[in-house]
Amino acid sequence: MNFWKNIRAVALREIKVHKKRPVYFLGSVGVITFSAVFFLTFFGDGLPHDLPIGIVDNDNSSMSRQFARQLDATQLGKTVKFDTFAQARLAMQRGEITSFCVIPKGMYADVSASRQPVFTYYLNGMYFLGGSLAYKDILTMINLTNGAVQRKVLRAKGVNEDQIMGRIKPIQVDTHQIGNPYTSYNYYISNMMLPAILEMIVIILLIYALGSELKYGTSRHLLRTGGGSIVTALGGKLLVYTALFSAIGMSLVFLLYDWVHFPIAGSVWNMFPAIILLVLASEAVAIFIIGCLPVPRLALSIGALYSVLGISFAGFTLPIEAMHPAIQGLAQAFPLRHYFIIYTHEVILGTGPAAWWPEAIHLLLFQFLPLAVMIRLKKAYIYQNYPKE
Amino acid sequence: MLKYSFIRDWCQDVLDMGVRELKLIFKDGGVLLIFFVAGLIYPLLYNVVYLNGLLEDTPVAVVDKAACPESRRFAREVDATREVEVAYRCTDMLEARQLLEERKVNGIFYFPDDFGQKLARMETATVSVYCDMSSFLYYKNALMAANHVMLSELSQIQKERYAAAGFTGQEASALVQAVPYEENNPYNATFSYSIFLLAAILFVIIQQTMFYGMTLLAGTMREQKKSFATLMENPYTHGIMRTVLGRGWAYWLIYMGIGIYISFIVPAIFGMPLRGQFFDILLLILLYVTDCVYFCMTWSTFINKRETVFVLFLFLSPICLFLTGSSWPYSAFPGFWKLFSYIFPSTFGAQAYINMSSAGGDLTAAQTQLTGLFIQTVFYFVTACVAVFLENRHLKASAQQ
Repeated sequence: MNFWKNIRAVALREIKVHKKRPVYFLGSVGVITFSAVFFLTFFGDGLPHDLPIGIVDNDNSSMSRQFARQLDATQLGKTVKFDTFAQARLAMQRGEITSFCVIPKGMYADVSASRQPVFTYYLNGMYFLGGSLAYKDILTMINLTNGAVQRKVLRAKGVNEDQIMGRIKPIQVDTHQIGNPYTSYNYYISNMMLPAILEMIVIILLIYALGSELKYGTSRHLLRTGGGSIVTALGGKLLVYTALFSAIGMSLVFLLYDWVHFPIAGSVWNMFPAIILLVLASEAVAIFIIGCLPVPRLALSIGALYSVLGISFAGFTLPIEAMHPAIQGLAQAFPLRHYFIIYTHEVILGTGPAAWWPEAIHLLLFQFLPLAVMIRLKKAYIYQNYPKE
Repeated sequence: MLKYSFIRDWCQDVLDMGVRELKLIFKDGGVLLIFFVAGLIYPLLYNVVYLNGLLEDTPVAVVDKAACPESRRFAREVDATREVEVAYRCTDMLEARQLLEERKVNGIFYFPDDFGQKLARMETATVSVYCDMSSFLYYKNALMAANHVMLSELSQIQKERYAAAGFTGQEASALVQAVPYEENNPYNATFSYSIFLLAAILFVIIQQTMFYGMTLLAGTMREQKKSFATLMENPYTHGIMRTVLGRGWAYWLIYMGIGIYISFIVPAIFGMPLRGQFFDILLLILLYVTDCVYFCMTWSTFINKRETVFVLFLFLSPICLFLTGSSWPYSAFPGFWKLFSYIFPSTFGAQAYINMSSAGGDLTAAQTQLTGLFIQTVFYFVTACVAVFLENRHLKASAQQ
């Protein structure tokens, strides 16, 4: 009975601390609110539209102007005219446009005379999304232009429309984007970046909360409140934080899959345990870091490095299999990686827990981490024998 | 004579202030960890993580219901692309789907049973591509492989069909490719993930590590009830300029070193493109580091506890990366976030670095960004002075009480 009483006492003590110091509230709810607003509005369009694409029209014929107009009319592109190649190149180096096309002099005349004028385009691959989208847009337009020329010739020869289509386009590719039918960048980024920020908050805030007991020399008071046991002291503290972080996590799931209607192939209900497992695993990592290194500022710096790196190692930007084989295994040490796999199964493929339970076990295995440092942390709490500053 | 001694004392004060700051920095393990371990190791670490930067041979499953020579050739050609590898051949969609769900493949190519028939009837045949959207690179790979093969097959089939209709040789070729095109992607030829991302990450690292380090130190001072603003009183002036300049050069010195390391040495180690002129880039770093120093000094005013900076501002690191515009194009930023991005030196710094170092432009290519950095520097210098002045007044007021 005493056990629960102690846990309750520690939890109440923690709540009192929170009331006194707004940094806990700002660092958790404040940060996640800002991030949610940022990511959901920043990528609000889903896909960029009206990307500036440069055109250097050396031909100025009805055909070249029509090409520019049609490129301008696509949802993705917006044409910007340049007089010379040098101007367009400078604009591309400046990052004002991510691509430009050069229409050769006499293109229309050459096309009419079957002399095959060469159309050239330049891309700036340094602006990844902009560059590749503009690339796709230009490629589509130039192939349509080719088709238009063929159609004109075939019509003149008296071929009927059905046969013309068969000749111009013998094969078409019909793409299905599983899990993200609109190719929305918002779905892609926000789905993972918000849990990433949550992981960051959990690790940093918990290290801070456990570290500040050392820093302000209140750790003995904490142990006394917990009846002299590190289990109850940590238990009481974690009760408050787990409740807080789980609430944030579940609000995120609710926000993403219900409020703003991100597509989810599986069930929202399965995402609740997934995000709670992420929270628990991240908490375990935080305790492990502060337990190994009971110096708040060092532990926080390490926690910061770890959680920022976790975003890369989740593998939703550059997939893990594209990384160097020697570091691929490292990804397993980040809870976010396991969350990402669960997310892929549940949200993208809709396969349900039958497919992702091994990852849930992985996340649960993180719970062994705190056990390893419990005694060390208790000693640090009792003796306070680590530098505070 | 008085004038001369004033200038001398003034310079001496600036020097002393900086030396004192340097001593503080080198005495503080946490700041050293951030400046030197994070500042020096992090760029290397990110380079190692994104070393190849290319996703090749994404495994896909092929479901060939048509089983005709054309579909087999198509599948073979898809397998031959750099982007995609045909890992499994399945008898039906159910099996392929199973593989996708087990994550053994990241895409499915499906040839319907009328594929060959339609081609024989000179109609449009369809090939369906299903992409796993968990990472856009899977999608990009499957799509690019499909489109490249489709275009090459297209001209092949078209030539056969025109030959059947009596067009041959140059005549057919001019019809199939009325306007041949030529692609140039000079700065990042393979759309490598590492080249585009790292340039931006490196500049964000400079700003963020400096920010965390400096605020850590400022927070410590305030915790110990010492403030920078209390110093440097003398009969002539308040000493605001001397405090700001003096503290500034200490960080400036350290970060010019780190900045040069990050923008010249790190890319050289990993064979990243360095196309800019040395002195152009040096000028950029000079301006960027100066800007960062006063940016950090201004914002560190709001931090009064040592560790709170991580709790409150760590999440800004990934946000700053998005705000550089290297992934989501700058022209598509919503208006408010465009304004918001002007707060951070990294927005201008990373863009200028990409324009000059990766795209090989000269100073005119980064004119806008350099102007932005300059205006920011002046602005943050003034705000840093104002912050010291206000804090000084506040401290004096509370001391009198």
